[in-house]
Amino acid sequence: MQAAQPLPQRRVAPLSFPRLAMLASERTLIGAHIITALVALSIGILMGPFQTFRRSPAFMEALPDWKIPVFTYYYQALTIHGVINALFFTTFFIVGFSYFVTQRSLERPMFSRGLAWGAFGMMFVGLSLVLYAIASNQANVLYTFYPSLVAHPTFYIGLVLLIVGTWIVTANIFLTYAQWRADHPGERVPLAVFATLANYVMWCVATIGVAIEVLFMLLPLSLGWITHTDPQMARALFWFFGHPLVYFWLIPAYISWYTMLPRQTGSQLFSEPLARVAFLMLMIFSIPVGAHHLFSDPGVSAAMKGVHTILTFVVAVPSFLTAFNIGAVLERAGRSRGARGPFGWLVRQDWGNPVVAAQLAGMILFIAGGFSGLIHASLTLNIALHNTAWVPGHFHMTLAGAITLTYIAIAYWILPLIRGRALFSRPIALAQIYTWLVGMLIFGHGMGAAGILGVPRRADLAGSGYISPEAATWLNSAAIAGVILLISSVLLFINIIGTLFFSRAPVSEDGPIATGSSDGSPLWFERWGLWLGVMLFLALVAWGPLFAETLDLVNGFNVPGFRPESPVPLR
Amino acid sequence: MHIDRLERYWIIAVTAMLGVFMAALFVSVVVFRVQLPSPVGRVDPRALAETEFATPGLTDLGASRYDMHIVAKMWNFDLGQAKGEPAEVRLPRGAQVTFFVTSEDVTHGFFIEGHDANLMLLPGQIASTTVRFNRPGTYHIICHEYCGPAHANMVAAIIVE
Repeated sequence: MQAAQPLPQRRVAPLSFPRLAMLASERTLIGAHIITALVALSIGILMGPFQTFRRSPAFMEALPDWKIPVFTYYYQALTIHGVINALFFTTFFIVGFSYFVTQRSLERPMFSRGLAWGAFGMMFVGLSLVLYAIASNQANVLYTFYPSLVAHPTFYIGLVLLIVGTWIVTANIFLTYAQWRADHPGERVPLAVFATLANYVMWCVATIGVAIEVLFMLLPLSLGWITHTDPQMARALFWFFGHPLVYFWLIPAYISWYTMLPRQTGSQLFSEPLARVAFLMLMIFSIPVGAHHLFSDPGVSAAMKGVHTILTFVVAVPSFLTAFNIGAVLERAGRSRGARGPFGWLVRQDWGNPVVAAQLAGMILFIAGGFSGLIHASLTLNIALHNTAWVPGHFHMTLAGAITLTYIAIAYWILPLIRGRALFSRPIALAQIYTWLVGMLIFGHGMGAAGILGVPRRADLAGSGYISPEAATWLNSAAIAGVILLISSVLLFINIIGTLFFSRAPVSEDGPIATGSSDGSPLWFERWGLWLGVMLFLALVAWGPLFAETLDLVNGFNVPGFRPESPVPLR
Repeated sequence: MHIDRLERYWIIAVTAMLGVFMAALFVSVVVFRVQLPSPVGRVDPRALAETEFATPGLTDLGASRYDMHIVAKMWNFDLGQAKGEPAEVRLPRGAQVTFFVTSEDVTHGFFIEGHDANLMLLPGQIASTTVRFNRPGTYHIICHEYCGPAHANMVAAIIVE
């Protein structure tokens, strides 16, 4: 039998993108996402320093009646800080960045602009609803929104819209990839897109947990359709999602380190195949580790906690692979700048270029933040550290340090492309980066030390009677860091506003995108269906027994909802 | 797929290091008997008066051993203290106390300063941990999970004499 002749296909001519500008279609879509993200960040970020002041005994002794401006209720400000920074700033930024990377690496437009704008609209309405719920004092439940605390329905509807929006984004990116794949059989997708695809596969699996929690437990409870819930089940579902969430933030930063930093430093990536291995491992092993957030929970067995601890060490491996690969990139960059001796390259870096410096500063914070994470992921040490100030100390060096500084590095080149003007001021950018680095190191250390002494996180410590003089020292140092970070944030917004409205110079830095790939990685790395199967299997093994021991339809689901302000149950 | 020789050494070294970390955990669990909270049982938070939590407080089991039932609620710990009295409990030095704690309303936390006691308190679940108090002093029991406006004042004390 004769093989069927393939139909003659019309190959789509690759879209050619201008180097130092954006196409009009890119500018509007990516600009809308990045600028919404930065506006959200400006709301969320300011609340942080104010919290360090309320938690500092010396500050509150000097100004006993001081309250956070506008959002005077401490936990309202804390909810804004967590929800807007960690959920909305990150998601809008990641989606905008993903569109840029996908379109430029694959040299084609997104599959559907309509879908992209539809998703943006959903996410934007979600942001508005959540802001309304929090600003009107009806959602003081923090970014983890653990029941049986109940917020206004608009809070949960806003979160649902954000998540469903990201599912549409995922579909759009995969459909674009499928079109590219049809035109390029047998080719490897560029590394940046490979990582983006891995990130959204992981995200879709992870968000199943929080979607079930919000749609079937919290939203109906808030609307009064059901009257009772199960807090332990809700926490398990939340942390099924909560840990991959941090990798959803991290992978775009790694995309910048792996695929953009080599260009920006005049170096080249050491090993592209192992970069792909790292992204696959992050995707697969981020799911079966979430119970390390539940070590102190009464309804989860010690056996399941042990299983998740072991897998947590596995998910540290891709970050160690990254340390080697990026270390080699920087060594090559340092040596080409004239570094001598075995360690001279650590110093001879491009510290005067904001786009590079922000990423280097982020890496310094990531070393401290990463190891602090390994420490409290160890179940025995976690007993001393769970829910103490150590934990925010850790994630301010990772999320607010490495990840946010890398996003700022991206903003420092992508905003000029969106606006068509150069970055407003490089010296202000450098001052912003180094104050951020110093501030976050002092903050991370102060919070870590206070945590070891038993100071809890998430507490409006002004007026609490249990702070020892020793712990007070560290809380005061965290407040000094708060001042430094406040200055850094102001510098950041001067540069953003300056670039958008006052910059006159032409764009000088391009979007560091690679369009090809010639590494020797096996093609089966792109078998996404296979990886999805592996992930679901691991999720079943690691989470199935945990959900089974948590689920009790006879004696569970007996907890009514409460507003944070009142000990009287809602219904 | 080619892997550079140095990178291969690095992967082996890192894997070995994580193996050592895991071995240390194993030793701390098996040899030093560090224990994590495990399920003890469920309770109906709407009907605590019909359970062992009806009368919170200390039960002397003899030989320096005690059981202690505590109910966490917005925004205090009920250790069985009389109305208007501070939430305190006095223990002799060397007392070994098994705590049984639950929440009546929302999620709370349970952390004893200077001791390995760290529990999440969820309504509907009984949390339990055993602590030996060897050093005299005052140790706060601190609620470490957000539970409403007075969360930071939700504290009790253990006085070891």
